[in-house]
Amino acid sequence: MSGDERRENRLEGRIDGALHLLDRQLVDSEGALLGKVDDVELTQVGTHLAITAVLTGPAALLARIGGRTGSALVEKWAQLKPAEPHRTRPWRIDMEDVDRLDSALHLSVRRDGVLRRDHEGHRLGRLTGMAVRGPDGERVGRVMDARFEPGDDGSLVLCSLMVGHGRPGSLLGYDRRGDQGPWLVRTVVRRLHRHTVIVGAEAAEIAWPESTVRLSELPSEAPDHAFG
Amino acid sequence: MKKYLAVALGILTAIGGFVDIGDLVTNAQVGARFGLSLAWVVVVGVLGICVFAEMSGRVAAVSGRATFDLVRERLGPRLGLLNLLASLLITFLTFVAEIGGVALALQLVASVHLLLIVPLIGLLVWFVLWKAKFSAIENVLGLLGLALIVFAVGLWQLGPDWAALAQQAAAAEKPSDEHWRTFAYYSVALFGAAMTPYEVFFFSSGGVEERWTPEDIPTMRANVFVGFPLGGLLSLAIAGSAWLVLGPSEISVDSLGQVGLPVAAALGKVGLAFAILGFVAATFGAACETGLSVGYSIGQYFGTQWGKYVRPSQAVSFHAVVVLATLAATAFLMTAVDPILVTEVSVVFSAVALPLTYFPILVVANDPDYMGEHVNGRLANGLGSIYLVVIGVASVAALPLMIWTRMGQ
Repeated sequence: MSGDERRENRLEGRIDGALHLLDRQLVDSEGALLGKVDDVELTQVGTHLAITAVLTGPAALLARIGGRTGSALVEKWAQLKPAEPHRTRPWRIDMEDVDRLDSALHLSVRRDGVLRRDHEGHRLGRLTGMAVRGPDGERVGRVMDARFEPGDDGSLVLCSLMVGHGRPGSLLGYDRRGDQGPWLVRTVVRRLHRHTVIVGAEAAEIAWPESTVRLSELPSEAPDHAFG
Repeated sequence: MKKYLAVALGILTAIGGFVDIGDLVTNAQVGARFGLSLAWVVVVGVLGICVFAEMSGRVAAVSGRATFDLVRERLGPRLGLLNLLASLLITFLTFVAEIGGVALALQLVASVHLLLIVPLIGLLVWFVLWKAKFSAIENVLGLLGLALIVFAVGLWQLGPDWAALAQQAAAAEKPSDEHWRTFAYYSVALFGAAMTPYEVFFFSSGGVEERWTPEDIPTMRANVFVGFPLGGLLSLAIAGSAWLVLGPSEISVDSLGQVGLPVAAALGKVGLAFAILGFVAATFGAACETGLSVGYSIGQYFGTQWGKYVRPSQAVSFHAVVVLATLAATAFLMTAVDPILVTEVSVVFSAVALPLTYFPILVVANDPDYMGEHVNGRLANGLGSIYLVVIGVASVAALPLMIWTRMGQ
């Protein structure tokens, strides 16, 4: 649309799920807007957890409100129309229909009839915010963000988790670069998140029913160079 | 040549578009009571809106994302929703005030009851938002709004003691019969009037509507850095002429007629006619901008198709929101609420809500993932950080001051 920067496709590199993918605008092949990335579907493929679809619509969005309010809202959403099957199941767009990611997520197809409600998997919005416990069951913090990189088959697979204290997304990207301004905001964000650590996916076991991530070793590495 | 014309047109519409009902009423009120002793707030506010609008315009041009896209991307769905509701409330109040302002201005001419005019204005605003082209709304009303220059002419005709006015402005000399707390209250109100959040929603969404690219950044900057300060000078002219004409007789401004009184005193009927034309154009333009901003914010939060760059049939939910907002604003005014009171409340709440949208924009304007080489430079970040603090202080102080002074009494 404008500028060469926007042509860059972030799906070909390493991305942070909450920072780069969640809540992005969905744009179809003709530039029409069709919703937000209200959540992201994760599927266990072999040993990897891969991004298989983006989820959109109230069923996904209301669950992201989180906690009891979130569950209650999803329930109310279903009760609005009891005759409709699978109303709590969010609409999904398969990653096959996704073209590229820049400041928006661009589809390779037109928006008409692109949404499906055929499958329900794990959600990134559940993973971020999960409690993280160490090998002896001690609380380490919460999942702040999840980092993905392209796997062998081209799909994005989970490579590491950012663990710290606070709301998912509240790192605001200041964990990725040490020089991102303005100084005032960077200093405050880094101070608030000084205990944030990064954990390799192989050291983290995700227990979806209990909403807990259990680590096989205690992490000590700060994400990238920002918290040095 | 065409490019210079576009820049000139942009600057002229920015001047006319800067002044809305909040600026008209607040500047006249402040001028009548404090003269130009609060002129520094206008300067601080105008520089602030320049910094804010330039950042969000640049983000819109480079990334194609408008304000509420970024609010949700950076703050998430929950905090983003609270932010949306708070900002919507203020934009809606401003929308009510602007429609009321158009009606008040027309009442000065027509002399029929306000409640007879309000529904017509509501209908007209909705019709324009539905049918008219985006550029037509912006350009026609922006240019007609330039009629407000009559306030500057009026001030000059009144032949004030310029040295005394300059002294009062430079030294921020509070009139001795006013209390410090009302001085503080009106500085926050004046700041809120200059830095109304909807101006930035509208500006950045308009950039997306007009498909700005990084090549448009210089034009956008010219509009902001020339247009808005000239608009600020108009604000000062309103305050200055109000001080000269209304100040000596201790008239407090609580109607739009009193805002126009100094022009009538200086230039007679013709001057007043120009002032009323300016009132109608400025408030009608701002009514369109706030009405669209309600639709923009909701559309951008939920990601549904918004904007006037597509046919209404492709953006049904956007136009439905605009219709409902216009109906609700009209209905609110039909309760015979005083539009001037709504204006006074809306400018103070604008100051309260500013950090909600300012902060995410400041963060994104620094993020190379969005901005590439167009991230904030030192100047933008220096000013941006100073204003983060200024906006924060104004936001925290606004409500306590409002209660303490009983809205400036």
